[in-house]
Amino acid sequence: MFYRLSGIKHTRYVSARALWPIPADRRILYVLGALALLAPVLLSDLYLTSYMLPWLIWTAAALSLTLLMGMAGQLHFGFAAVLAIGAYTSIHLTRAGVPFELALLGAGLSSAVIGSAFGAAALRVKGLYLVMATLSMQYLVEWVIVNVPAISGGAQATLNTPDVRFLFVPLQSDASLYYMALLWTVVVTLLLLNIRRSSFGRALVAVRDKDFAAAVIGVNPVRFKLLAFFVSSFLGGVTGAILAFCYYQAVTPEQFGFNVSIQLVAMVLVGGLGSVIGAYLGAGFVLLLPILLTNLLAGAAQIDWLPISFNLIAHIPLMVYGALIIGVILFEPLGLAKIYDNLRKYFLVWPFRHTQS
Amino acid sequence: MKQFTQYLAGLAGAAALGLGGMAQAQEKEPIHFALLQDFTAVYTFVSTEYNQGQQDYLRMINETGGIDGHPIEPIIRDTANEPQRGLEAYNRARREGAVLVDFFSTPVSRAAVNRVLEDEMVMITALHGRGDASDGETFPYVFPMMATYWSQAAVLAHYIEEHQGGLEGKRIALVHIDSPFGREPLPVLETLAERKGFELRNFPYPSPGTEQSATWSDVRRYRPDHVIIWGAGGGQQVSVREAIRNGIRQEDILSVVWLAETDARNVGSRYMKGVKRFEAVGTGTDHDVLQDIIQYVIEPGLGSGPMENVGSSYYNIGVATMAVSVQAARLALDEFGAPLTGDKLRRGFEMIDGFDARGLMPPVTLTHKDHQGGGYGRVSQWNGAAWEPVTDWFHAYQDIVWEEIEQDAAAFREGR
Amino acid sequence: MDFQFLLELTVNGALTGWMYSLVALGIVLIYKSSGVPNLAQGAMVMIAAYLVWVFSSMLALPIVLALLLALVAMFFLGLLTERLLLRRMVGQPIIMVVMLTLGLESLLRGIGPGFLGAAPKSLDLGLNMMPIIVGEVFINREYLVGAAIGGVMVVLSLLFFRTRVGTKLRAVSDDHVSSWAVGISVERAVGISWGLAGIAAVAAGAMWGSVQGVDWTLTTLLFPAIAVVILGGLDSIYGVLVAGLIVGVLGSVIPGYVDPLVGGGTRDVVTSLIILLTIMFRPHGIFGREDIERV
Repeated sequence: MFYRLSGIKHTRYVSARALWPIPADRRILYVLGALALLAPVLLSDLYLTSYMLPWLIWTAAALSLTLLMGMAGQLHFGFAAVLAIGAYTSIHLTRAGVPFELALLGAGLSSAVIGSAFGAAALRVKGLYLVMATLSMQYLVEWVIVNVPAISGGAQATLNTPDVRFLFVPLQSDASLYYMALLWTVVVTLLLLNIRRSSFGRALVAVRDKDFAAAVIGVNPVRFKLLAFFVSSFLGGVTGAILAFCYYQAVTPEQFGFNVSIQLVAMVLVGGLGSVIGAYLGAGFVLLLPILLTNLLAGAAQIDWLPISFNLIAHIPLMVYGALIIGVILFEPLGLAKIYDNLRKYFLVWPFRHTQS
Repeated sequence: MKQFTQYLAGLAGAAALGLGGMAQAQEKEPIHFALLQDFTAVYTFVSTEYNQGQQDYLRMINETGGIDGHPIEPIIRDTANEPQRGLEAYNRARREGAVLVDFFSTPVSRAAVNRVLEDEMVMITALHGRGDASDGETFPYVFPMMATYWSQAAVLAHYIEEHQGGLEGKRIALVHIDSPFGREPLPVLETLAERKGFELRNFPYPSPGTEQSATWSDVRRYRPDHVIIWGAGGGQQVSVREAIRNGIRQEDILSVVWLAETDARNVGSRYMKGVKRFEAVGTGTDHDVLQDIIQYVIEPGLGSGPMENVGSSYYNIGVATMAVSVQAARLALDEFGAPLTGDKLRRGFEMIDGFDARGLMPPVTLTHKDHQGGGYGRVSQWNGAAWEPVTDWFHAYQDIVWEEIEQDAAAFREGR
Repeated sequence: MDFQFLLELTVNGALTGWMYSLVALGIVLIYKSSGVPNLAQGAMVMIAAYLVWVFSSMLALPIVLALLLALVAMFFLGLLTERLLLRRMVGQPIIMVVMLTLGLESLLRGIGPGFLGAAPKSLDLGLNMMPIIVGEVFINREYLVGAAIGGVMVVLSLLFFRTRVGTKLRAVSDDHVSSWAVGISVERAVGISWGLAGIAAVAAGAMWGSVQGVDWTLTTLLFPAIAVVILGGLDSIYGVLVAGLIVGVLGSVIPGYVDPLVGGGTRDVVTSLIILLTIMFRPHGIFGREDIERV
């Protein structure tokens, strides 16, 4: 088949250590990349603005969280607060006349600084206690946003994003917003793929696996835990700004509630902890599944296939969503990425049954 | 057990019939109204009844010949109060040809404002969303169409002034949920306090408001003459209970529009007696429109939900929103002809003049400038079994309300 | 300083806190036996309240019978949850377990309001709404009953841990492997603890349902309950009582004085800070067992 290992001989370290050493993987990527670039032409504006765009942005958010949860092993149940800090910083900066490019940077930095304060808890505790500590910080940040009108935007608590341009391109049309989000998601993806094979990434993994052991081999856990929070919050902050400018265009505190934090964690876990492709799959699952189910059920109800009350129909997506999360965790704890990986491995050696790895 | 099975059977039966679709064959092309609401999260306390009222009214219109022969097809989806789901549903509904959207969720409406203005889609924001959308010049496609929270506060204050011994020298406590919605009446009441010479203090309680005992200990010590409670959902009945428990006379408790039969039941009907609330739409089935709905929809078994909801406060609010919308669509079709577009519908709304849904609601007049419709309402009182109006429809202090509207609308224009 | 005001805030705060303890008790029971943090306890409380409502209002049974039926049903629901879901999670990382319970929360939040109606329902336990007035202090009668039930539940749990089954549970909470070695069925012990958490959920659901009505907002009780659990120690039963008192009193007294100054409801801030400060300074809580981690 096209997707095979035999006959692929790497003669240089460079090619062996490439991000995608197998040509078939690369080909798939080229196709996906081309599809992503052509999406504004191929997709109707409904699918572009309501599916692709939020999916990409949430993927970037999930990737930022993956860096922290998957690679560095630091649990975070307040990531929506990090996004919120980025979103509000960028809006206030651009409203003050700062160019969008710098506002993005500012969003990242302010999130990174405050996010590292979240990380301070990680120096003291881990596991469940870290979950609770970050969760309480989520509530604190939310409270500050809601209760300081200067941040949330006065009586209506809504801030519209001003019209901005990014590198001289005005962010107005659906396509330009989409490309902005795509650009950022690709940047985050490449960053994560590369961090994984850098010394920084290996240090994070060492800290994740056992921080004491990491200290023994000369990796300073305090430093790397804080760094992980810093980098991840930076990415989260910029993603929050992108979310505000490219998708919502009007920011309210409810967009960054506790449930969003939970959804982000669900994206990372359902996708597969620490997996980059998992973040894409997880974001798609958590974000789009309820929408698809709602539409499916509404369609079924319209043609009289569902003789049950509307109240129940409305609640079915919630049940299915919960049940599927339970299902994935019970039956494939490594997440959707593992399912993809199994498929890939199957085709790698097809028509034979087993792979050695 | 019998009751239980009956309940289930009723539920299933009603649902089956309700979902039978609006398949009534009519020649002319249908008009799509998108009712994309929150049935599973924050607004569950109202959305079921509200939406039922909307569906039943539209059904009644369809059963009686539609709008000049055009049937209305509602598009109903759950958004779970999540903006991204609301926007998806909105974009989809737009593609399906919807000309009107009702999110009935403040966060989703707020996130959608820019889009509806751009897409020329009419968005009705009755009793939710941005109050400053009453300014039709800034928000041409957004129609609050009923009294905004500012107008409600003004009406309640005016009621105290006229019927409860004046405002001057009084102490009024505003006990509200700690959210932008809870703080909304503050500026209007503060201005009034200055102008009328009464003392106002606000007492926020944390969301979702299911536990408020500390707040009310403080309220009691303030010894208010009147208490205005400003919340929604489960928090409201907790507020009423705590108020009564802290020795505040029922007659002195006034509420925002979100206090209904359910809350009275949950507080205990006899305890609740005397509590007052703002009312934007009449309650009960004793109205011509409701009688029509019963005759054409409920009795033939076409209702979209449980019978006992028909005529409840929130059901009637749903009916009223659709009555105004249908009226606007009718005016637009008469004036500009089919097919109905968002822009035509908007102008239809702006032609509504003194429409009161045959006595169900105060006469609404929408103009190019005023999308609130005058800010009318009345005060009603729980008499132990039902809500009984104690005033006629009136509006109050619209000058102060409009100051707020214009101030916020200006901020919105600048923020663009 | 108004002493009466302080006293009233303290008393009502303490009572509220003990009502939170009802929710927290379930979390502690499960954590103690199996080390699973059950973030679905709020949803279990909601389901329990819905069950009580079904039995008492829909089927029109006397309230005592309704409560008993709900107790039985929730005990088995707890058992079932453990058997079907949590037992398979042994040895999985904590984050997976947390996410599983969050998935369970979604599922229950869909099932309860979906099948039984999302609008708030009233649950009348026949309690008098009027306060008990001592001097100038108004004491909330419903909260008093709730707090008393909270106290009784905690004492019952403590007594239960002195019975034969309870002793096994204690052994299991000490060490799973050694318990196996001496012939204790760890699975059954953990299952029983889930059943007991179900029973605690009925007490919590009935009391909170009667105070605030039955709908999905009952699940939000999880947050204050977490504060109680963290402060008291995740595996300490009497910690629930002491921490409930502290969380309740602080969550009532501080907002009572600070709210007028900042113009916002600060109780969630207090709750958050309690969680945060506990974790920073004494992660295992007041009475929790300090785990020593082996490298």
